[in-house]
Amino acid sequence: MSGREPRRAVVTGIGAVTPHGIGTEVFWKTTVGGGSSLAALDRGGCEGYPLRVAGQVRGFDPAALVEETFLVQTDRFTHFAMAAARLALEDALLADADFDSPYSVGVVTAAGSGGGEFGQRELQNLWGQGSKYVGPYQSIAWFYAASTGQISIRHGFKGPCGVVASDEAGGLDALAQAARTVRHGTDTVVVGAAEAPLAPYSIVCQLGYPELSRATRPDHAYRPFTSEACGFAPAEGGAVLVLEEERAARARGAEVRATVAGHGATFTGASRWAESRDGLAHAIDIALGEAGCRPEDVDVVYADALGVPEADRAEAGALADALGPHARRVPVTAPKTGTGRAYCAAPVLDVTAAVLGLQHGLIPPTPHVTDPCHDLDLVTGPARAVEARTALVLSRGLMGCNAALVLRKGGARGPHR
Amino acid sequence: MTDQVSYEVTLEDLAALMKRTAGVSVDPDQFARQADAGFDTFGLDSLGLLGIVAELEKRYGLSMPPDAERCKSPAEFLALINSALTTGV
Amino acid sequence: MSRRVAVTGIGVVAPGGTGVTRFWDLLSQGRTATRRISLFDPAGLRSQIAAECDFDPAAHGLDPTTVERCDRYVQFALVAAREAVQHAGLDMTRENPWRTGVSLGTAVGGTTRLEQDYVLVSERGARWDVDARKAGPALERAFSPSTLASAVAEEFGAHGPVQTVSTGCTSGLDAVGYAHQAVADGRVDVCIAGASDSPISPITMACFDAIKATSPNNDDPAHASRPFDAHRNGFVMGEGAAVLVLEELEHARARGAQVLCEIAGYATFGNAHHMTGLTKDGLEMARAIETALDEARLDPTVIDYVNAHGSGTKQNDRHETAAVKRALGEHAYKTPMSSIKSMVGHSLGAIGSIELVACVLALTHQVVPPTANYETPDPECDLDYVPREARERRLRGVLSVGSGFGGFQSAVVLTGPERKA
Repeated sequence: MSGREPRRAVVTGIGAVTPHGIGTEVFWKTTVGGGSSLAALDRGGCEGYPLRVAGQVRGFDPAALVEETFLVQTDRFTHFAMAAARLALEDALLADADFDSPYSVGVVTAAGSGGGEFGQRELQNLWGQGSKYVGPYQSIAWFYAASTGQISIRHGFKGPCGVVASDEAGGLDALAQAARTVRHGTDTVVVGAAEAPLAPYSIVCQLGYPELSRATRPDHAYRPFTSEACGFAPAEGGAVLVLEEERAARARGAEVRATVAGHGATFTGASRWAESRDGLAHAIDIALGEAGCRPEDVDVVYADALGVPEADRAEAGALADALGPHARRVPVTAPKTGTGRAYCAAPVLDVTAAVLGLQHGLIPPTPHVTDPCHDLDLVTGPARAVEARTALVLSRGLMGCNAALVLRKGGARGPHR
Repeated sequence: MTDQVSYEVTLEDLAALMKRTAGVSVDPDQFARQADAGFDTFGLDSLGLLGIVAELEKRYGLSMPPDAERCKSPAEFLALINSALTTGV
Repeated sequence: MSRRVAVTGIGVVAPGGTGVTRFWDLLSQGRTATRRISLFDPAGLRSQIAAECDFDPAAHGLDPTTVERCDRYVQFALVAAREAVQHAGLDMTRENPWRTGVSLGTAVGGTTRLEQDYVLVSERGARWDVDARKAGPALERAFSPSTLASAVAEEFGAHGPVQTVSTGCTSGLDAVGYAHQAVADGRVDVCIAGASDSPISPITMACFDAIKATSPNNDDPAHASRPFDAHRNGFVMGEGAAVLVLEELEHARARGAQVLCEIAGYATFGNAHHMTGLTKDGLEMARAIETALDEARLDPTVIDYVNAHGSGTKQNDRHETAAVKRALGEHAYKTPMSSIKSMVGHSLGAIGSIELVACVLALTHQVVPPTANYETPDPECDLDYVPREARERRLRGVLSVGSGFGGFQSAVVLTGPERKA
């Protein structure tokens, strides 16, 4: 180091399209109020399956946020991503910005389910009518890279573009990749994840996950860390964040909400939940090390909270392993029990809640959970007022990936502008 | 091929197809006035035009000439495909 | 911190033969592996040809459970990874599993299996509310693209960062690029990197038919893929996988591994232009090349071979020629540039890694593979495309480039093993 301050990646904008509604404000209000948007799954064609409860995005008018030329050539997952990206850029006051160079803005998304609804429609055209009935947009709508490509094209961003097509933990990996891209010299990266797995054939595919909740009551479907835990409820929607190099953000007077300070990723095997204890603990160690944090610096944990007893036990164990005695004192929350798990987008929504929670000095609660059966200080009931400085966000994927992300309030020079 | 006389794709038909298959809305007056302008003026890209050609092929049960998707303007496109439709190519 | 990144092992499943030896035989002899599609009946399609792998999972040691659980593209990856890890002499019991990662790319993932099961559950497209009871086992593994990296990580007991990368047709370069960054940054010491795709299925062929991107040369499949030739008319679909073992250079030396070459630089940019269309000037790909060379601290004149994306579409080959000329300047005219897609087709996300393996082999043998079927020059493509026959040449630095749907432009720079710090 030549004495020059290292480059840091800070959050300056957030856009969310979630089961709680359209926009970051309604997401935060509902989340902090402990509200739940889990409900009976009633999308057309999706009603007859042993998946009864999900987090659906209702009242989403894509045309209000995305031009029609983009809508016809993209799946619902890209509609969510493009809408969230626009909201994030507006939030960062960058929607109409004149960037010095188009190469100074990159785009990274994570995607775990692709354009399932669009794909099913085109499969139906092909097998029901013939190959000439497959339209020209199938080639760019179904694949996992659609959202990154379309966001880059729509906004003219030519910086490094990436797509992590991963399990849930991929959402945190995408954020880490974006933060590294910023540290390595790109000033701004638009990063996030959005999923739309609630189409008939996509649901049929998910029925193979033993972790999927088959409960019929919305208030019983997803209750991690309790003795009634019976799996997770899936969800659609997502969030996009604007990450910027701290000095560049301050130079333009942007509000610096939080710093992406550390990340760790490990792998311990698909559905081997007991082994994820070790994996998650390692990921936490690595993330804290990169952030230069001690375990006792962690003020709040956003848990993965899968809702499978063995997995919940492993997560509580991982926290004990990685944080030591502090694990019993630190508040832990899982607001995703109010939205469901939107695959790669699930941890991005947690990051969104964590950044807003740091800003507002509040820890949102874990809806539907009243009496946790693990030795954790799980935040249930009302939100808790805590002047937190450091948040730890955890995620695990159904294919065996574990990830931890450390967020610190504000930037290097403290939380305020 | 019978009853070829009724095969005539108009500017209005094309505008409707652009809207439906490519999500491109055009102002009818401007579209009529500028029928010689490039498709890109109206926001239609190469994939959009391919989709329209495929749509017409399905509608009329005919193959369009290979140059159809390379036409630069609405006027050029309509001239080519209407000629193909009336000759039954 | 930036550490040097060595390649210590390679493995490949490609059309024309499984394994590095048969792959290099095909390339160095300039033979083509494109033919009429046999994996399904392609009648009625505009493009009925592809480069297929004659792949027998059992012959490659995959047990029936693995075959049932894993889609064809995952099987390819497992076989390629075994070859690469063995080639590297990597003994996983002696490695720190938490410092061993996996980074694998795929463009379309499990779509082939997804389509096969779709036909059953939808009663051949008859119903939207498909019948879950007709779905085959482990369908969720086809649904999740993460399966690819996960299956390979489980095979070798890797516990470090494991990710599947999906940037369309640059996936194979980007997955290795990300692995390169992970090793260079010090996040892992070893990374099993590569890509796999098995896209030869009705839906994928039909969707490229719809945009007329694939070649309709159904009468002459063996000569259908014609990159840079004036009579090129689209790409020929392919399938396959390739895996490279990336390792921190000192880590490789310490365990006495053979260093095949180094990955010296990587960069990727978006063109923000069009999901499928390319600009005429190739500005963004040129920038990716320049940035990768900067990272490698190499002068463009050290590049002795360019492994082209060379898909054989009118637009791509023109775009790429412009980009390479812009980035390498006059040196571009003195540098051979070839496309192995002329021989093994375009396997979407996999091809970037297959091409990187070809680059490693080119460096090892000091031989440039040719562009098969190249006969008639195109005035817009005026570089040396190594027509039809492989060429011996002193190779120091090698550049591999790729373009993908979404507008992605990526470049990887490799250098021979003798390079000094």
